[in-house]
Amino acid sequence: MGTGPGLAELNRERENPFRQTGDNNMKKIVRAALLAAVGACAAGSAMAQGSGTLAQVKSKGIVTCGVGPGLAGFGIPDAQGNWSGLDVDLCRAIAAAVFDDPAKVKFVPLSAKDRFTALQSGEVDLLSRNTTWTMSRDTSLGLNFAGINYYDGQGFMVRKKLGIDSALKLAGASICTQQGTTTELNLADYFRNNKMKYEVVAFASNDETVKAYESGRCDAFTTDASGLYAERLKLSDQSEHIVLPEIISKEPLGPVVRHGDDGWLDIVKWTHFAMLNAEELGVTKANAAEMLKSENPEIKRLLGTEGKFGEAVGLSNDWAYRIVKHMGNYGESFEKNVGAGSLLKIARGQNALWTKGGLQYAPPIR
Amino acid sequence: MIRIIGAALFAVAAVFGSANAQAQQTLAQIKSRGVLNCGSNTGLIGFGAPDAQGNWSGLDVEYCRAMAAAIFNDPAKVKFTPLSANDRFKALLAGEVDVLVRNSTWTITNDTPPGLLFTNVNYYDGQGLMVRRKLGVMSVMQLAGASICVQRGTTTELNVVDYFKINNLRHTIVAFDTGPETLKAYDAGRCDAFTTDASSLYSERLKLTVPDDHMVLVEIISKEPLGPLTRDNDSQWFKLVRWVHFAMLNAEELGVTKANVDQMRGSTNPEIRRLLGIDGKFGEGLGLSNDWAYRIVKHVGNYGESFERTVGSRSVLRMSRGQNALWTKGGLQYAPPIR
Repeated sequence: MGTGPGLAELNRERENPFRQTGDNNMKKIVRAALLAAVGACAAGSAMAQGSGTLAQVKSKGIVTCGVGPGLAGFGIPDAQGNWSGLDVDLCRAIAAAVFDDPAKVKFVPLSAKDRFTALQSGEVDLLSRNTTWTMSRDTSLGLNFAGINYYDGQGFMVRKKLGIDSALKLAGASICTQQGTTTELNLADYFRNNKMKYEVVAFASNDETVKAYESGRCDAFTTDASGLYAERLKLSDQSEHIVLPEIISKEPLGPVVRHGDDGWLDIVKWTHFAMLNAEELGVTKANAAEMLKSENPEIKRLLGTEGKFGEAVGLSNDWAYRIVKHMGNYGESFEKNVGAGSLLKIARGQNALWTKGGLQYAPPIR
Repeated sequence: MIRIIGAALFAVAAVFGSANAQAQQTLAQIKSRGVLNCGSNTGLIGFGAPDAQGNWSGLDVEYCRAMAAAIFNDPAKVKFTPLSANDRFKALLAGEVDVLVRNSTWTITNDTPPGLLFTNVNYYDGQGLMVRRKLGVMSVMQLAGASICVQRGTTTELNVVDYFKINNLRHTIVAFDTGPETLKAYDAGRCDAFTTDASSLYSERLKLTVPDDHMVLVEIISKEPLGPLTRDNDSQWFKLVRWVHFAMLNAEELGVTKANVDQMRGSTNPEIRRLLGIDGKFGEGLGLSNDWAYRIVKHVGNYGESFERTVGSRSVLRMSRGQNALWTKGGLQYAPPIR
């Protein structure tokens, strides 16, 4: 697991047999040698497996988080270099859990091309950078996806005045899309599967596609839903356009860690789960302190007033309380960054809790 | 003295070396052994149970067979080891089994101790309620004023009290010391409703005097996500277990079934071509051949087929898909794409 003896402790053990050379008790020396060997093996295998990320993070005093160079709502710096976004909040939540201080994060902006190398080489402790969980990425990079913090997928935007509320009413429509992309293929599949006719109007670049839609060349514009909301901000009459509820492809986005340190994987995974469980239990940034007095056993276990759930992953038992106190629950982070409280105004949709018709579901803390 | 210390060091190194080898090479061991060792339930209808001839069946059992199909192109190459709830994690940690597929609930306590890792959820379970059909209710929300039979002092009792309180529904709890007493009381008409985990509700229903007079309501009021576990830090094996489930989900989503899988190899749909290994080399990263998912569907079928056969409409339990429907059909079962 991610913890185990700290480096200082291992060094002490390694020195022991030499300190005891004046002692003739051979048993003691052999025992010391064994201890040292165990320590060395643990350290060796820990290093070989990239283990000890948590120990490294603690000794550095910061979490180093790989993020996007600038995607509004997910990860973007302002003019003063302050980062914000849903992915950024996850990094801060991990820092809150480890240090009780969400500011102890160093954000490293990474291009799509460089992101995996930066994680593999140890430049960052995790990647939280709107990265789609696909099979080839999951099985060929030496990396593990730690969950899905945003279910994205292809959707449609139309003019409100068209008067439709479902993609299933797009029969006969003309649709602007980018040429030669998966988006175009998904579009063809969706209309064929639903036995609807349509006319595709394809352009070489995304900007051209949006411009064509805005000028009225097509009835609808299609790309990933998060992109639809972001592009809508650029339209001159944004309030006159709506995103339809259907999602026709899978683009599950989530944080990524290195192989061989499943203790660290647990920390990243359970940070997201804690934020989901907090939302489900009605624990918010504003009421977290009050909730410490709750009698609800699920809330008590979440906030660490009962049980020792932080210990197993090398954190304090109030790890999740720290997360919610500093960052809020998942719903709060969603609304602030991409939802109703943001410019993007993305609907919860698939990212609603499982209890509200969405797919966000966390295993229980017990 | 140096020699003694040297020998001691060597012994320790050997132990660590083999532990490491074991941690990293589950798949290699399975291949050289020629059989997958699967930790299973001692006997839970629908999930994992042997018949009188020792033939295993169930949703968890089919998961193991799907792994054997992917590895050996032969779903029969599985050795099932029945494990009690007490012994299951120890058996996995000791290397007695390669994987545990034994209706285990994914909780933080089971997931975070050194050595254990849940791969995914192959059955979303949770507490539900059963009522008599003649009551004419479809939803727990219509149960205001109802009496509920429940086992005393269990999480089940806490959950049902919480749920009714949160939804402002008046109710009377009628509690009993044991599961069988509770069910008997419900059968005798002592209460309007009976509550336990949904998977058990369906099997308990079979024990009632007239099972068909009773129905399970749609609401699930607690979380009991069930799934397989592997040992920590053998990422290749961890992913193989995980992607076998994802392949079965993707097959269902793409309409690829046991019956049509050969025909589907001629499909022009790029997603189907990648799933079946016509395009791409997606098996390689898992240490498998590229037709790994074809083998799974060919021998076992897709997730929906496995569900219906073992716990669903074609089984004695007749569970509805509910939370275990695909995400496209209102459920929670969702697999990342193969690309």
